[in-house]
Amino acid sequence: MSAHHVPSPLMRESLVDKNLIAGTESPVRAILPNLNVIQIGGLSIMDRGKTALLPLLDEIVANQAKHQQVIGVGSGIRSRHILSVGLDLGLPTGALATLTAKDAAQNAYMVSCLLAQHGFVYLEAPFIVQLLPAMLAAARGAVFNGIPPYALWEHPPAVGKLPPNGSDAGSYLIGEAFGARKIILLKDVDGLYTADPKTNPDATFIPDISAADLIAMHLPTLPIEPVVLELLMRAKLAHSINIVNGLVPGNLTRALEGEPVGSVIHR
Amino acid sequence: MTTQDPLTTTDLGQRFLDGSLSDEALQRASASSPDYAILPWVNVIKIGGQSIMDRGRAAVGPLVDEIAANLKRHKMILGTGAGTRARHIYSLAIDLGLPTGAMTVLATAVAWQNAQMLHYLLAKYGIPFIEPEGFNAIPHYLIERGGVICQGMPPYKLWEPNPVSGRIPPQRTDTGCFLIAEVFGARKMIFVKDEDGLHTADPKKDPAAKHIARISVDELLEQDLDDLIVERDVLGLLKRARNIKEIQFVNGLKPGQLTAALEGEPVGTIIYRGDAA
Repeated sequence: MSAHHVPSPLMRESLVDKNLIAGTESPVRAILPNLNVIQIGGLSIMDRGKTALLPLLDEIVANQAKHQQVIGVGSGIRSRHILSVGLDLGLPTGALATLTAKDAAQNAYMVSCLLAQHGFVYLEAPFIVQLLPAMLAAARGAVFNGIPPYALWEHPPAVGKLPPNGSDAGSYLIGEAFGARKIILLKDVDGLYTADPKTNPDATFIPDISAADLIAMHLPTLPIEPVVLELLMRAKLAHSINIVNGLVPGNLTRALEGEPVGSVIHR
Repeated sequence: MTTQDPLTTTDLGQRFLDGSLSDEALQRASASSPDYAILPWVNVIKIGGQSIMDRGRAAVGPLVDEIAANLKRHKMILGTGAGTRARHIYSLAIDLGLPTGAMTVLATAVAWQNAQMLHYLLAKYGIPFIEPEGFNAIPHYLIERGGVICQGMPPYKLWEPNPVSGRIPPQRTDTGCFLIAEVFGARKMIFVKDEDGLHTADPKKDPAAKHIARISVDELLEQDLDDLIVERDVLGLLKRARNIKEIQFVNGLKPGQLTAALEGEPVGTIIYRGDAA
C-alpha cells in the first residue's frame, strides 16, 4: 500500500520539517514590478465623503499616465456597526470577517464608479488572481476590495475576536504577491507618531522606522493594522510601506515620485 | 420602538465609535463577546494528501467505506490535503522564482483535485463537493446527506502570507480544515494521516519511538521538534482558538480508527489547548 510519488526535490518529504523548509530559501521574481498599490482608508478617507475623496481621485487620475496604480479600499464605520452587532450575537471571527469584507467591497465599488470614465475597473478577488495584468494593460487601473478574501478562514486574533487581517494587510499582500514598486496607504494622519496626535500634543513624528523597531515600541495604537508589521518582517519583495495623509493634496503624487512624505516602515 | 442597536447602546459599541480597531483596549474588550457555535454537531475531518490520497485505492477505498458507514450517525465536513503533486509544483515554482501567493494558487489546485476524486467516490451517497464560495449551502447538505467535501486549502491564494523561513506557503490544508472547524464551532477536528499519531521520534526510522496519546499544545511547542505531525501554524491557531479545544490525529490506514474517533474514543493522538484541559 505504497504511495505513488511524482519525482521532485520535495518528494516524500515532510513539508513541516524545519530543516527542509529552511533549505527551500531562494530568490523570488516580481510579477508586476511597475505596479503601485494604493490603499484608500475607510474610516479615514471614504467615510468623509466627497470633500476628502474627490480631490484624491483627481490626483490618482492625474498620475494615471505615468504610474500603474491599483487601488485597494478599506471599510469604515459600517464595519464598526456590524462588528458591534456581530460580537453582541457571539459570532466567531471568521463569520465577522465575511461580514466586514462586504463593507470594503461597497467602498471599493463606489471608488470604481467614480473612476470608471478613466478606465478603472472593479476586480473581485478571483479576477485579481486571473485578470489583473490584462486589466492593467487594457485599462491602466483597477480597484479592489482591500480586505483579503480570508472570509470564514480568517485567523482568530491573539486578543479578542476582531478579524486581524483588514484592508491594510490585504493591500500589502497584493503588493508583496506582485512584487509592486510601491505600497502607499492613504490615511487621515501625516504618518506614524509616538502617540495619537489627535489627543496628545506631545506626540512626535516618526518619518522612517523598521517594523521590528516599531513592534518593540509597543505603541498602544497605530494608524495601520499591527499584522502588517509581521508581514513586513517576512517580506521577500515589498520591503516597505509608505503611510501618507490622503487629505493633503499632492502627497500621493510625491509618494509615487519617491519623495519623502509621510512615514515609511521598512523590513 | 426604541433602538437597541449595540453600536450606540453598549460599552463595546461606544469603543467602536471612539477608537481605532488596532487599539489594544478595543481588541481586549471584544473578548467579552460570547461564543456562538454555528454548527455544533459537525465533525471536520481532514484526509491527508501524501498520507492517504496518493496511496490510491488500497488506502482510500476502505476509508471511503468507513466514511459512508458513519454518514447516518455523524455529520462530516471532509477536507482534502494536497500531496506529492503539490511537492512537485512547489519545487518547480521555487525554481522559477514565483512568489508565495502564486505557489498557493497552484497548490490549491492539487487539493482541489483530491477533493474532486473523493467526491466521485462518495457521490452515490449524495455527498457534494463545495467550493469556498458555496459554503453557505453546507448546513443544508449536512442535514440532508450527512456530509460534504471541500478542498482543504484556505482560500487565501495570492493573499497567502510569506513563511517565516524558506519558500513553502505556511498555511496549507491542515490550517484550512482547522479554521473551518473553529469558525463553525465544530464538535471534533480529526486529522486522518498514515500514522497512529505523535511519537517521541519518527517511528518509520526509530524502533524505540514511543506513542504519545495526549499532549498539550504548549508542551509540544516547548519540545521545539524539527518535524511535526501537523502544520506549525495550526498549533499557534489552536492556542488562540475560542471554540476548538483539541485536535485528534488518527491512522486512516487502520480500519475503525476514524469511527472510534468520531465516537469520542481516545485513539491516535490528541493535542489539546492548555487552558481547556
